[in-house]
Order: sequence, then structure tokens, then C-alpha cells
Amino acid sequence: MASDESDKLSAFRQEVRAWLKANLPKGWGTPEYVPPEPFSREAHELGKQWTKKLYDAGYTGFGYPKKYGGIERPPEEIAVIRQEMGRIGTPGGPLSLGLLAVAPALLVHGEEWQKERFIPKMLSGEESWLEAFSEPDAGSDLANVQTTAVKDGDEWIVNGQKVWTSMWEFADFGLLAAKTDLTAPRHRNLSYFIFDCSSPGFTRQPLRQMSGEAEFGQLFFDDMRIPQRNIIGEEGKGWYVAMTALQAERSGGGAFYGQGFDIGVGRRGMLGAAPVSDIVELAKNTRRYGKIVWEDPAFRQRIAQIAIEGEAMRCSGARMVARMRKGIPAANDASVVKNFQAEMRQRQGDLIMEIIGAYSQMVKGSKLALDDGDWVYSMLRARGATIEMGTSEINRNIIAERVLGLPR
Amino acid sequence: MDFGLSEEQEMLKTAARDFLTNECPKTHVRAMMEDELGYSPELWKKMAELGWLGLVFPEEYGGAGMSFRDLTILCEEMGRALLPGPFIPTVLLAGMPILMAGSEEQKKEYLPKIANGEAIFTLAVLEEDGDFWADGIKVKAVSRRDEYIINGTKLFVTDARAADYILCAARTKRAANPEEGITLFLVSTDEWGVYAAPLTTMDETRKQYEVSFTNVAVPPQNIVGELHQGWPILKEAALRATAALCAEMVGGGEMVLEMTVNYAKERIAFGVPIGSFQAIKHKCADMYSDLEYARSLMEWAALAIDEEPSRAPVAVSMAKSYCGDAYKRVTGEGTQIHGGIGFTWDHDMHLYFKRARSSDTAFGDSNYHLELIARSLD
Repeated sequence: MASDESDKLSAFRQEVRAWLKANLPKGWGTPEYVPPEPFSREAHELGKQWTKKLYDAGYTGFGYPKKYGGIERPPEEIAVIRQEMGRIGTPGGPLSLGLLAVAPALLVHGEEWQKERFIPKMLSGEESWLEAFSEPDAGSDLANVQTTAVKDGDEWIVNGQKVWTSMWEFADFGLLAAKTDLTAPRHRNLSYFIFDCSSPGFTRQPLRQMSGEAEFGQLFFDDMRIPQRNIIGEEGKGWYVAMTALQAERSGGGAFYGQGFDIGVGRRGMLGAAPVSDIVELAKNTRRYGKIVWEDPAFRQRIAQIAIEGEAMRCSGARMVARMRKGIPAANDASVVKNFQAEMRQRQGDLIMEIIGAYSQMVKGSKLALDDGDWVYSMLRARGATIEMGTSEINRNIIAERVLGLPR
Repeated sequence: MDFGLSEEQEMLKTAARDFLTNECPKTHVRAMMEDELGYSPELWKKMAELGWLGLVFPEEYGGAGMSFRDLTILCEEMGRALLPGPFIPTVLLAGMPILMAGSEEQKKEYLPKIANGEAIFTLAVLEEDGDFWADGIKVKAVSRRDEYIINGTKLFVTDARAADYILCAARTKRAANPEEGITLFLVSTDEWGVYAAPLTTMDETRKQYEVSFTNVAVPPQNIVGELHQGWPILKEAALRATAALCAEMVGGGEMVLEMTVNYAKERIAFGVPIGSFQAIKHKCADMYSDLEYARSLMEWAALAIDEEPSRAPVAVSMAKSYCGDAYKRVTGEGTQIHGGIGFTWDHDMHLYFKRARSSDTAFGDSNYHLELIARSLD
């Protein structure tokens, strides 16, 4: 990839590659490796184990104080680690959510005991987390949360429902957004809590999505009890916790998004976009109306456009690293990156469906499915990319308002 | 390779912006649109004094020995200001061929004159089909005794009347491969037989001409590079000119975004600034995103030319394709957001709109470059 980097960084890159080679599951990247069923308990455990390995090697856990288990590295090394992992795909998992949103929220708003108790095991992957934020009537408009937490002695009693919860099935702990003040206006009535997913009164159900699987879940709280001390920050000030968590998810997610933190469904699966060489390969091996797709100028151009977009992301990322080194804040870069990547994945998906024609209807399980239905799965899954972790519309509003200063 | 600007580069950028803000306001641009030659000799002299014209020439030829990326920083500011004049033709389309392939005598003769502003150059390569490819070159230069006689017509030649010299690409030998047999001739515009007729253009900030050569005699010492081997030199020059054009496009696009956002903040409709409407916000956000990626690809193209020449052709093709599309989109949306006033002659938006299109079509649009990129993926 890069010869636009120092010798020292290149050496580090080789080091990371070697570590990955030695530590990824046996046969990774070849048909020899049989990944666990996506989103299964086995996949979850694999993700936790993998995070622990990464943590012990010093390849994760960045951006946190050492006393909470944080690991320090210069930004260009972190970028190399992410690139290398994105290149080869890795068993992700708990790594994603705990780090992305929960840990920053705790770091900024939590009590000392909460940070000491929970952050280290988030970073090492020993404990996994879910975020109980969105509800059927509260997605982009998170302030409209209706789940309640009512004080009863030294406990809170929680009732309500959550939706679109990642890591829903096996997470050990949850970060919960609930209404604690039934009379205060929007934005002033929320509080955030830590809860244990093994609590009585808490149940979880799958939420099946367009691409067939139930990556996300629905959560139900029926008089679930949380210890008083599990509130994060002040009662009624939960909106600030939400903003920290969401901003962290978007910023970290922006840089992080599409870096291939799969849970074993292959690079074309979850978050990543396919490398352009894979698409060229597909085009060379596909005939439409008797002609090789790669020889059709219309298709060649669209595939070349995908190559440009991938390169554009690489160069834009390099400019971001240069800004970070100069200490220039990058809070809203994520909105640009996330939109571009998500929309690029959708364009890619559409193009591939056009390339494969009738085979675009053949999904995993069909005798005629191409590459085990991977391409079709990716196209469908990509339709969620512009909605999750901040819709494209919300991101455009953020760019317009926070970057360009247009009036709200 | 560092994508960030050094302190010196930041200073160069700021100085260039301040200079052009003062020296090239829109009144100047519009005056040059009406002007026969389309540039100001006084301003050209000032640019020479600042060292801009010889920026990338070695010091021994009167230049500053700076990098190509440094030059693109100037080009960004020129694009932002819509500077009219023969900068890219002189420095990159003629100056660079002389530097890269010229004889020592030619370098000593012409490069200092470019650097100190004494001489203006341009390149005559396109003909009737208007495509920058070897097959399109049919104008002949026939050898007679020790001279070459050029006959034929070149089209879409920028700044031909302002130019003191035209670097003319003519066919000197028939060959199976059209890229062989082309020779570059340095022709003085004073020569009897060289005539430049103005072409009325959409982008009036860039003057274009039809240049006819009638029995123009050129001595062999005015051949730049080897006989019959001019095409590779042109390609190399075009690489830099294309990257410089991308820098202009990014600079211009960023100016359009600024103008548009400012307008959206101030223009009231239905009792509120139009910038508070989501449709407007989203268009602006898309413009911002377009320019972010255009800039990233442009900077990479410039850095590749300086530091990784083997990767430069693909980098430049990617940048040109993306920047051309982005600048067109940005100016299109910029016009739209301005509403009626954006459609007027008096408003500056159409100047950028037209510059976007003249830039897009020069040295291959995205259709052309996407095919080159596809070949690189093979």
C-alpha cells in the first residue's frame, strides 16, 4: 500500500503483519478457516478472545489513561494497525462497541469507581457491552426516549423497550438511556445507567433485517432493577452523556468504519467495502450477453470510479493524520467519512448486482449463489450503512451546521 | 510523505492569497475578459518579481528550485481568484518541455526569460477533433534543406496572441505508431506565416485561438528534444499541467463553497435564512465532501509527481477525473443555491461555472481518465 511513509513506520507495518499472521485463527483468509456462525455465541467468544490477544499485544486500547488500562501509541501507528487489520479482515466483536461509545461516555461522565471497574475490561475485551439507546420512536431523535427509570429506595426500576441494539444477544453489560424525570422538557429528562444483562426483568429478542440475519436485537425491560450507584453522572443530565457517546461513535466510527472489523463473515461482509481488485476479478470472469464485463467500457468506467473513491479515502485519511499531528481537532471529519464510505458501499453493491445479472437474486443457500451469496449479502447489508451510526441526513446536517456554520 | 503543509508552504499560500486578493479582484477578471490578450503585463511582471514564474526551474536558469507541490499551492490560489493569463501554458506546457528535454542553449536562452517575465509561451497541440492524443496530430513539418516548414492549423490554442513563442507539435515522420514521428518546434509568433485568430469562448477568462501556420520555417536549433520524439515530452508536460489544473479546480471550488455558504446564511426566504433549510444544508454538505476528496486526490497527484513518479500517471488521472466532476457539481449546486441571482451575468458564479467546464474538458475529462485508470487495474 504505502511507500509514502517513513522506514520506521514501514518496519512497524511489517511487525503488525507478522503478528497478525501468527495470531489470527489457523487458516484465516483461506477456505480452511471455517468462521463461526455470524452473531453466534461462538462468534462472540471469538471476538472477546481476539480483543484480549490484541490488547495484550498493545494493538488496541488507545486513547485512554493508563490507570484505566489504556495503551499509548502515535496516531500513524494506530492508522497502520487499523489498515492492516482492515486489509486482512479480523474477528472483531466486543472491541467495537465498548471502545467506540461506552468507554468514552464513562471516561467523561462516569464516577471514578465506574471507570476503574469497567473501562479496563472493556479495553481488553473481557467484558462486552451493548448500548440501549434507540427505541421504536427514538432513532435520529434520541431525545424522544420513552423508557423510564423510577427511583425506589436505593434502586432504579426500569420499564420500556429498546431497538436496533448491536451485540444484543451475548453482551455482559449495557449502557442504558432512560427517562428519569417525567415532567421535565426534552433533553433535560434523561439519565444514563450501567446495567448487568443478567438482571431479572431484562429480556432480549432478535430483530431480523433486510439482509436476513438478526445482527440487532430488541430489548425489553419489565421492572428491571439497577443499583442506585449505577447512574452515570447527574440525574437529568443524560443528554450530555448521549452526546459524548454518539459523538465518539461517529468520530471513532468514522475512522473505524469499514476497517474490516468483521466477525468472520469475510471482508465483503459486515463493515468493509470490497477491494477493487476483487471487483475487477469478478468482471473479468463474468459474461453478459456473451461479452466479458471487464471489456465493456461502461462497466470499466464504473469500476475505475470505485478505484478512485478508494484512493480518495486513503488520501483523505492521510490528510487527517497530518492534521492530527499538528493538533488540529477533527471532531466532524467522521460525518464526511462515514457518509462517503456508506454511500460508496451502496454504489458498489448496485454495480455488482448489475454485473452479475440474474445471479443477483441467488442468495446463500441457493445452488447458484456466487461466492456463497456474499456479494448479494453485502449489497443488502449496505442499505443499513447510511442509516446506522448516524443517518446520512443527520451527518449532512452536522457538516452543514458544525463545519460550515449554517443556521440550525 | 507528508500531506500537511510545511511552514514555508503555509506562508507561500497566505502570501499568494493576499497578493491575488489585492491584484486580481473580480473587476480585474472581468476587465481581462474584455481585453484582447486576456492578461495584464503589469501583473505578470509582479508575478515574475515574486518568483512565481520560475518557481520550479533550477536556480541556474533563474528559477527558485522549488517543488511541484509548491507550484500547485500557487495554482490553488490562482484558481480561487480566477486569475486570467498564460501561467500554466508558459510555465508547464512550454517551460517544462524545455527544462526536461531542451538543449543547454535552449534552457539558458528561454528559461530565464520565462522566470523574469520577459517571454510568454504557449503550446499548440490540438487539432480538429480537439482530443489530446497523438492520432489527432496531422499538421506536418516537412524538412527542406536544413530547416523545417510547418503548414497547417492548430485549434484551441490558449493565449496564442499573448505568446511570444508557440511550442508547436507537428508530424515530421509517418510511423505505424502515431506516437512516433511527432516533433516539438519552438516558433516565434513574430514569424511571418503564423496567424492567431481569436475563438469566442464560454470561459472568457481563458483565451483560445485558431493558429494557422503557412510555410513557417523553423531552424533545427528550435526543435525541443529529439526529432520525431516529441510525444513522450508532451505527455510528461501534460501530466504536470493536468495536476496544476486540478489544483486550480480545488481552489476555485473552495471559493464557490465559501460564497455559497455565505449567501445561504444571509439570504432570507419565508422569514428565515435559506441555509436553515435541509435541502440547502445537504447540498452544501455534499459540496464540502466533494471538495474534501478532490483536494485529497489533487495533493496526492502533486506529491506523487515530486516523490513517486512511477505512481504519478494514475494519481493524476484519478485526480483529474474526480476534480473535474467535483468542480462541475460544486458550481452547478452553487448556482442553484444562489437562485435567480446566481444565473445572472453580473454575479460571479457563472465565471466559476464556466471555468469548471473549460478545465474539465482540457487534458481529458473523466470519461478519458477512467479508461486509463481501468487499464492500470488490469
